[in-house]
Amino acid sequence: MVIKTHILKNTFKDSVYLMRLSGTVREFEGVIEAEVIVGTDHNKKFLRSGGLWTDEIESEAGANDLIIAVKAEDEDKADQAIQGTLDEMSKAVDRENLLGDFIPRTFETALQNLSGANLALLSIPGRYVRREADQVLDAGLHLMIFSDNVSLEDEVALKKKALEKDLLVMGPDCGTAIINGIPLAFANEVREGKIGIVAAAGTGLQEVSSLIHNFGEGISQGIGTGGRDIKADVGGITMLQGLKALLADKNTEVVVIISKPPDSEVTEKVLEAAAKSKKPVVVNFLGGDLEQVREAGCEPAGTLKEAAQKAVNLSRGKDADSADSALKADSELVKKEKARFRDSQKYLRALYSGGTLAYELLVLLEGKVDSVYTNLGYKEVEKLADVYKSQDHTVIDFGEDEFTQGRLHPMIDPSLRNSRIVEEAKDPETAVIMLDLVLGYNAHHDPAGSALEAIKEARETAEKDGRQLSFVTTVCGTDEDVQNRGEQVAKLEEEGVLVFSSNAEAAVFTAELLSQ
Amino acid sequence: METLFDQELVVINMGLEDFAKTLKERGTRVMHVRWQPPAQGDADLLSLLDKLK
Repeated sequence: MVIKTHILKNTFKDSVYLMRLSGTVREFEGVIEAEVIVGTDHNKKFLRSGGLWTDEIESEAGANDLIIAVKAEDEDKADQAIQGTLDEMSKAVDRENLLGDFIPRTFETALQNLSGANLALLSIPGRYVRREADQVLDAGLHLMIFSDNVSLEDEVALKKKALEKDLLVMGPDCGTAIINGIPLAFANEVREGKIGIVAAAGTGLQEVSSLIHNFGEGISQGIGTGGRDIKADVGGITMLQGLKALLADKNTEVVVIISKPPDSEVTEKVLEAAAKSKKPVVVNFLGGDLEQVREAGCEPAGTLKEAAQKAVNLSRGKDADSADSALKADSELVKKEKARFRDSQKYLRALYSGGTLAYELLVLLEGKVDSVYTNLGYKEVEKLADVYKSQDHTVIDFGEDEFTQGRLHPMIDPSLRNSRIVEEAKDPETAVIMLDLVLGYNAHHDPAGSALEAIKEARETAEKDGRQLSFVTTVCGTDEDVQNRGEQVAKLEEEGVLVFSSNAEAAVFTAELLSQ
Repeated sequence: METLFDQELVVINMGLEDFAKTLKERGTRVMHVRWQPPAQGDADLLSLLDKLK
């Protein structure tokens, strides 16, 4: 075994590109471990602790340099992998030209050279966010912070500063937003319309905006707050700002609020602000108190699908409630799927990439099936002892930190989830494998195609053992997304995978399938 | 804050290049900043620089 490194002086690439590249290097023959990484102090510590350390790193690599570090079976294999990485980098210049000839290195220079700039999108390491975000707010721009690992103290300080300046801070950890019809980060392509959304739940915003589009209406604004905004420490600053802005916006006729149940004081403030308006406000506090919402004069929704449906009905001047809002599993289909299982097959294995969607599944399984385990926090539901090993009914969000350290989010790189699909098929107790496929900008180019490779392998594994599995999926997105929802659904259905038009319908069906 | 909704969205993107490329492909005015850690990622030097500000 040998460890070899190659240092590229003054070469900077962003972290997503480097993680993709690291994945490519690991696939070279004879490579045991590899990283392509910027030579910051932090990263050097990571390489040293991971056993990818050489004297060359010690003496040569600085924070402006790129390190290719390879542990391989022998010297030749290591050399081949390093050369292969360099070749790969020289090929990847295709979309580079999109950025133009002038690429500044500081916010200040960008500001001087871009007239009318009014929003900054930050996806830099969390510990540097405060410095840059302060500059952005001082210059009078609104902010979307995609980065995570920003301290609570920094979040509160930035949001208070923004509030004084009447600026919006979406995030930290805000994965998606739609401002003036423009999708930011992981958003879906939806038509413009009369419904405004404010959400402390990333895939919740994606699901509701996509469903509103799929039901034939559109979005005025989709404001993300970041998940921590609704906690007592932050006090719902962005949620309240966003809500008030939507209530005042002339293009917004109906408002939808989506989040996990906020801190009690935040809930009161949000409902109080909503109640003052003549505009209808639909509220989905996932798993929260529907009656409290109704008493406040707002329209409660138990699921993301119901929130979308009610908003669409209200925007068409109809009553919020309609037959469409009711969720019921198709009993014939339940019977047909149930007939596939042998006696040993009792459990659900839900392998999700969207945090809010996984959370909604937990809400909808509550009281329907017992013995659920998860890596998320939801009421009394037990935490998995080991996230890599399922127990009874298991709901996993692969977007949680334990799966994304040094690795791309499963919406971009589903490989970890794919291998888990195959793993679950080996367990004679697995009956249903549930997946969410999230489409949209910056997500994987073909989530259905990628999942199907694993699904086919999983099926073969189970069938060799005389078992049949049920695959239940939901595809979050629209036909206007680059991946095209209709095409993704057709691909899955051709292979006998059940596809539901919303996460809630998939969840209700699965609960019925397992509770009988 | 409502004024944001009446303006053309013009974005400065710092960090992941793909976010800027997606916006550009869609016709949004965006400038990408090739951001690098200040003070070459040296935490001690960075805290000195912050004191100088």
